[in-house]
Amino acid sequence: MAASRARKFTVVAQDPGVRRRGRVVTGTVSLPYEELDPGPVGHRVHVVDYDATRRVLLAPAEIVDGGPLPSAQQILTDPGFHAQNVYAVVMATLLRFESALGRRVSWGFPAHQLKVVPHAFEMANAFYSADDEALLFGWFRRAGKPVFTCLSHDIVVHETTHALVDGLRKGFMRPSSADQAAFHEGFADVVALLSVLAMDEITTALVTTTAKVRGGMVDRSAVTAEALRRGLLFGLAEQMDPGLSAARIDALRRSVELTPAPRILALAEFAEPHRRGEVLVAAVMNAFLDVWQHRLAPLGAGDGRGGIDLRRVAEEGAVVAQQLLTAAIRGIDYTPPIHLTFGEFLSAVLTADTEVRADDTRYGLRDALVRWFAAYGITPAGEGPGGLWPRSELALVRDGIRFGSLRSDTTEMFRLLWSNRTALGLQQPAYTRVTSVRPCLRVGPEDGLPVQETVAECLQYLDITAAELGRFGLVAPAGMPDDQRVVLQGGSTLVLDEYGTLKYQIRNTVPGDGDPASAAEAQERLQYLWDHGYLREGASFVNRLSDLHRLRALAGPVDPAQEW
Amino acid sequence: MAAPSSLRVRAYNVGFGDCILLSFGYPDGSARHALVDFGSTKLPAKGASLTQVAEHIRTETDGHLAMVAATHRHADHISGFAGEPGKIVARLAPRLVVQPWTEDPDLAPDATAPASAPARPGSLAAAVARLDTMHAYAASAVAEYQRRLAAGDRTDLLAAVGFLGEVNLKNAAAVRTLQQMGEQRLYARFGDVLPLDDALPGVRIDVLGPPTLDQAAGLVAEARTDPDEYWHVATSTLAPSRAKGLFPRATVAAERTQEARWLAPRVDRLRTEELLSIVRTIDDALNNTSLILLVTIGATSVLLAGDAQLENWSYALRDAPDAAAIRARLAGCRLYKVGHHGSLNATPKTMLWQNFGTAARPEADKLITVLSTLAGKHGSPARGTEVPRRPLVDALRAESTLLDTRSATKARFWVDTTIEV
Repeated sequence: MAASRARKFTVVAQDPGVRRRGRVVTGTVSLPYEELDPGPVGHRVHVVDYDATRRVLLAPAEIVDGGPLPSAQQILTDPGFHAQNVYAVVMATLLRFESALGRRVSWGFPAHQLKVVPHAFEMANAFYSADDEALLFGWFRRAGKPVFTCLSHDIVVHETTHALVDGLRKGFMRPSSADQAAFHEGFADVVALLSVLAMDEITTALVTTTAKVRGGMVDRSAVTAEALRRGLLFGLAEQMDPGLSAARIDALRRSVELTPAPRILALAEFAEPHRRGEVLVAAVMNAFLDVWQHRLAPLGAGDGRGGIDLRRVAEEGAVVAQQLLTAAIRGIDYTPPIHLTFGEFLSAVLTADTEVRADDTRYGLRDALVRWFAAYGITPAGEGPGGLWPRSELALVRDGIRFGSLRSDTTEMFRLLWSNRTALGLQQPAYTRVTSVRPCLRVGPEDGLPVQETVAECLQYLDITAAELGRFGLVAPAGMPDDQRVVLQGGSTLVLDEYGTLKYQIRNTVPGDGDPASAAEAQERLQYLWDHGYLREGASFVNRLSDLHRLRALAGPVDPAQEW
Repeated sequence: MAAPSSLRVRAYNVGFGDCILLSFGYPDGSARHALVDFGSTKLPAKGASLTQVAEHIRTETDGHLAMVAATHRHADHISGFAGEPGKIVARLAPRLVVQPWTEDPDLAPDATAPASAPARPGSLAAAVARLDTMHAYAASAVAEYQRRLAAGDRTDLLAAVGFLGEVNLKNAAAVRTLQQMGEQRLYARFGDVLPLDDALPGVRIDVLGPPTLDQAAGLVAEARTDPDEYWHVATSTLAPSRAKGLFPRATVAAERTQEARWLAPRVDRLRTEELLSIVRTIDDALNNTSLILLVTIGATSVLLAGDAQLENWSYALRDAPDAAAIRARLAGCRLYKVGHHGSLNATPKTMLWQNFGTAARPEADKLITVLSTLAGKHGSPARGTEVPRRPLVDALRAESTLLDTRSATKARFWVDTTIEV
């Protein structure tokens, strides 16, 4: 067959529980053409249909282009469709990241192909395992019928997002603060929900179920911000198959219902990672609804009946979801490499979006984000105008630096850092390493002009004892013995323009530079690590996402201060 | 009858388990006895059998028990009430048998009528039914363990599934014995004071746990979603393999590709890890149904904690309306039976341990601690979850007079202490 430029795949739009006129709502995913081996196996994804419960390996699925839309029965009973569905959704998520970031994106492990197991075991769980380079999707029976997590669009996107963020920021999986512990889950939820809403098939189906449609028009009252909030997001939660993942439905419901409160993150309840992650979801999803509503406001005026074209409602929703999703993903490049807070994430998103989309009047996306994050007590960490990161004013010494290598070579980048170590505020006694250098080419959607950047991550470590903390301006938490080993970590993200000039240095330095603000932050993190037992011998961060997901469903109260 | 003038607390060395005999000495020279728990999931290499322990208790008590308390239904706390040792104990005819409210047979699901209407969600009966579902899951996990063992899987991971699975089996025989034993049976909850006027005159026993669901929503498992739904689904995933596979018409691969050869054993391991994690959750949930008993004679008090973990402790020590008064009473405790064989989260560090004020106590009032445990059966040092947890044992040794069942001998298979009151 002659290679075409794109290949279209039919996928389940949300999960088999969301239906329209009895049919499972499906969508179409268009991927750049690649010659697939049976499995499917492509250059980034390798589907292995192995079931550990029965220890059965199914023959690799053959991919069939075109053909009629699958029936609900086929969707549930054809493992080949499942393999194709999971392949297409994972690839679409990867492409969304690559498109937003303007470069190829690696997984969180050295291999090129992510192994995807659509029927890994008969268990109500799905997770990403970096050690095994795999996404694993469980299945289970409910009322005697099998339920497949690999058919749930948002679960597949959620897990893929974990694998991608792990590739972009290894440091986010380390223990640091309540915000960082909550970020992975919250961000994966944001990407998953916006990915689903970016398919206008799903928004059409949901608006149709919650509003009267006459002649393709819906009443304006059905698309007010509150109606969309209640009807669409709550409707999405209601229609999801409750057996598929009650926890995520519950999380979505709770996020939608989370009453804005500026002090919410200070409440003990929101110190728990899953609950805290829901605040992030609530802020982003409310901003999404505001912008959508803003886009719908001028429509339908003057028709005398107050009706709005349903198709336009859905399309606007999908476009806003895509814009917001792109900004959120782009923001990752502008986060510090470690010790992320929600306020830093907000500044990262605002800065990243401004770089490629200077004029925001059409959507008012950034205003909505600032407003809704503020409603939940999250203010931008950036001290630049509008909460952006301030532009660097450093003129780096570049003697002997080969600019061509600087865009991709960690050693060349380290040389640049080393030559400017004092100006960049790198702590001299600390172990320093450039962990990534990534060239990016982003295209502004408004003016079509390219923005070329290089993003580098630099990490620093100090391995000391509690008795030495004073040298770095820190005080040992109460009860910490002098010989307690403490590893202080910090780092910088450097964003360089197309000439190698430093645009941004986004950093959380290791303490010791004399800056009272960074010392106070480091002291707070030290207390958090001590209080939560992460400095205890043998202790480990819950970095198995399988645990994280199950705990999200079943977690009882945990208080590390009460443990030995 | 006057109040007791002494209390002997004896912990029999039953390996990984609990068997605590309280002997109250009265001024007239008579004695009355209460047995708190009797079970083991792994006996010590050199020690007595449970039948020998039961016979010893019979001798020590002169054939009479005033009270039996079974803190919760884990095998390491009640397996001794089944079989021959159970018959011996039953013949000691305790006047009062105390168990947590979760054991009340009136709340139990009707096993003979599976089609009957399910218990109202959120009710006590629903919580008890959930425990049954958890047992069913544990039984399936044990069956899976046995199948894999027979197929040659000797990994530590699978062994851990087997051990925890077996601990969480229903122990039907022991449960039955406890339901039939004694003149009076009481299913207790936080706030109860046991009726001991006849059985143990001069002794007061306050029940500090478990709270009911109304008292503490997080008792059985503070689920973020409907826990019954979760366990219902979870149990269905471990049903015996069916004749038809998941996709009966699908083609099975003729041979494993390179990727599959690398990946399949890893997916097998991940599945076992998942199994272990779920069984751990069950173990925690059942531990949190434990009775916490505060025994008081005059100004002397002794705290016996079963395997209660944070959810259970939190109500009495933090959330109850009289939590401050309870903490004040516990601060003066003379003896503490260490919870859950010395695990990392069954002796709340600040709420309980630091509240004992061990450092400020005069030598004559030094806290006595009793630890009934066996190392190497539960948890892992690499993960900081070993039982007994080393930092806790260090603290017990440094700050209290520690009686550890591991120091018992084959001939003297117990440790004990007598407190004059």
